[in-house]
Amino acid sequence: MSLRNTAPAIHPLQKIQFVEPHIFDITPTVKLYWMQPVPDETTRIEFHFDAGTIRGNRKIAGFVNSLLLSGTADKTSTQINQELDGLGAYLDQEIAQELAIVSLYCLKENVEKAVAILVNAIQEVAFHEHEISDMLREKKQQFLVSSEKVSVLVRRAFQKQLFSNSENYNRQLELSDLEDVSVLDLKRFHKEFYLQGLRKVIVVGDVEPAYIDRLIDTVGAWSKPGICEFEKDFINIPGRLHIEKKDAVQTAIRMGIPLFNKTHEDFLDFQILQTIFGDYFGSRLMSNIREDKGYTYGIGCGVAESNNAGYFIIATEVGKDVAEATLTEIKNEMDLLKVELVPQEELDLVKNYLLGQILKSADGPNAMMDLYMAAHLHGKDFEYYNEAIQHIQNISQERILALANKYLNWESFTIVTAGTKD
Amino acid sequence: MIQFERFSLENGLKVIFHKDTTTPLAVVNTLYDVGARDEDPEKTGFAHLFEHLMFGGSVNIPDFDAPLQHAGGESNAFTSNDITNYYDVLPAQNIETALWLESDRMLSLGFTPKSLETQRSVVIEEFKQRYLNQPYGDVWLKLRPLAYHTHPYQWATIGKEISHIEDAKMEDVKAFFHKFYNPSNAILCIAGNFELDEVKRLVEKWYGDIPSKMKPARILTAELPQTEFREQIIERNVPSDAFYYAFKMSERKSAEYYITDMLSDALGRDKSSRLYTSIQKEQKLVTEIGAYITGSLDNGLLVISGKLSPDVTFEEVDTAIWKVLSEIQTEKISTKELDRLKNKIKTAKAFQEQGLLNRAMNLAYFELLGDADGVNQEAILYEQIQPEHILANAQDILQKTNCSLLKVKAIQS
Repeated sequence: MSLRNTAPAIHPLQKIQFVEPHIFDITPTVKLYWMQPVPDETTRIEFHFDAGTIRGNRKIAGFVNSLLLSGTADKTSTQINQELDGLGAYLDQEIAQELAIVSLYCLKENVEKAVAILVNAIQEVAFHEHEISDMLREKKQQFLVSSEKVSVLVRRAFQKQLFSNSENYNRQLELSDLEDVSVLDLKRFHKEFYLQGLRKVIVVGDVEPAYIDRLIDTVGAWSKPGICEFEKDFINIPGRLHIEKKDAVQTAIRMGIPLFNKTHEDFLDFQILQTIFGDYFGSRLMSNIREDKGYTYGIGCGVAESNNAGYFIIATEVGKDVAEATLTEIKNEMDLLKVELVPQEELDLVKNYLLGQILKSADGPNAMMDLYMAAHLHGKDFEYYNEAIQHIQNISQERILALANKYLNWESFTIVTAGTKD
Repeated sequence: MIQFERFSLENGLKVIFHKDTTTPLAVVNTLYDVGARDEDPEKTGFAHLFEHLMFGGSVNIPDFDAPLQHAGGESNAFTSNDITNYYDVLPAQNIETALWLESDRMLSLGFTPKSLETQRSVVIEEFKQRYLNQPYGDVWLKLRPLAYHTHPYQWATIGKEISHIEDAKMEDVKAFFHKFYNPSNAILCIAGNFELDEVKRLVEKWYGDIPSKMKPARILTAELPQTEFREQIIERNVPSDAFYYAFKMSERKSAEYYITDMLSDALGRDKSSRLYTSIQKEQKLVTEIGAYITGSLDNGLLVISGKLSPDVTFEEVDTAIWKVLSEIQTEKISTKELDRLKNKIKTAKAFQEQGLLNRAMNLAYFELLGDADGVNQEAILYEQIQPEHILANAQDILQKTNCSLLKVKAIQS
């Protein structure tokens, strides 16, 4: 037998060396997390604000986030951008349901100056009328373009169905929201959710320890007083919903159910089940719907977590003629996991794959910090990942079958399609 | 500074080894010197379709992905107009699994009819998802043939049209493999916490017996110098009018390449750039605008693209753009502005080099350009650029007779 007919031996995972961040109390509830050992000159700083889309009304959170660097009484937005660019700094503003993040990426030598410019810009933002109208014009155009995409149409409708009992969580921007906005509302939101809304600061970089103290002094006044409240117990509207989009050659499909986050006892084992089902290249969904039928370029599933809840989602874009056939196959794959034990060989493969994924998600200081924060959000630390490794190593075929029966029930799913119906 | 060692096998395989003692992972990156530019004009999209088939099982191993996943790893690939690049990331102790898989598919593919049939469908869905079912998704399918009349850059990696993919035959697939997939046409880069001797032994063990073949000669139809302004208008059911100005620029290996890259940054990389501040921010003629280069190995393109504000005409924007272009051709940019561009490049490079996979891909790519150490020389090349270089380059490139303009006119159907 030739060398090539036999796979090389597989060696088990070594113990992962987790590196804990240093944690500083800005206030009893607002902390700074610092990952110091970084073997290069890069520095990443993130400010997390309680300024997500669930705060304020449907549009205001996104508007304020977009306008954070839009100029102060003394500086135009272009001046601010030029100062930051002059220091070689990259800035990222993102907003999600439960938080808004401002991230700064630059070299260590420039971090103090860049943060000072950024903090001043956020602190003193003036909400100039012309900047607001620029923002509305640009947002309107982005909204119109994204509304041409079936993947966007399906996402908006899905959110509404999934968080049906919560206006805060199911709200979606409408074109009419982009006509105008009150400056007073913007200022109020900025004051309440940014200037008194800081929840976390993250630093990944080999900066001077004394700088961490100065940074805390600089932004400490923004700390959110008290505890943030987030909703849970979301109720979805099960069943089908179709969004018609003329002349689409593909149909986007999005389906899901409210689920849980890391705090739930089934979370770790469900992760293994959903990986088998659709969360890696060799998954049941990919093998059937892409690699066997050729209906799609890609299909996948995942668990999205929030502070007090979570949901399970399956998403794909398929040829418009095979949308119904795809749904049938997704159902078939769900049903199969409920009646037949996962073959031991497949389970072993997924176990090894997942262990490799944990190793990968702990590689390098930035990944290590993200890994820590993902556990920390739910009151856990790195011990959680050792527990995850135990779960992966010990899970049985029967446990997978039981979990599939507990959670993968077709009738409970919200199923949204967007595209052209023949 | 990215350290590396280089060696080659008797069959012509070039190998780069990058040692990183801090990571528990290994990367096996394989660059094949073949891209869409090497395709038959009547069989386009083939290099990319072939990339998909490379995951459909090799001569001794029926499935590529499963053994790699079983070893805790994962894999992917991309095809450009110039190259096809495959990579595996896995726990370092299992690197041999990746070498076993990669060497077997370099030796020969399984060529199963089922794999071809399925991947044809998958690629057609990719064509639809990325190019047909997105607003403005097909502009590059139109812009390329406008800018390139003779060079094979006139088609995109996905192919000119779906029918080329539909018509792909097994004999075409086999011929493509035999021509381009062999050790002398590949660069292997291995990264991770290993010793050089160990890497040499493993590479020799898995790749040493792959038969040697001649590196295929590349004779491409050169693009004739452009001497006239080109313009095309297409009508699409999109929300707003859009424009794409494409200027021919130097090839990748030229010293000019770095200057044009920086010129495009000055024009439209970020919110301090000239086009953004003048045309979007001050004159409010557009709702987005940017400039970038294609970065191709043969003569590339510097592209300025954007979308018009409501009630603004193409003519108004055109006048405004040429005014900005004229300014950068008549007055040297300040050292302050130049330093800003250099600092952004420095930061971007530092972050890119954090990732093991990025480092491995870059080393292989620079080895293709002639020397893997080029990855370490780039920073100096950018640093040396002076205002007069930008001025001369702008005068050279930003000419109307060097420009192809594609306009997308929004219509309501």
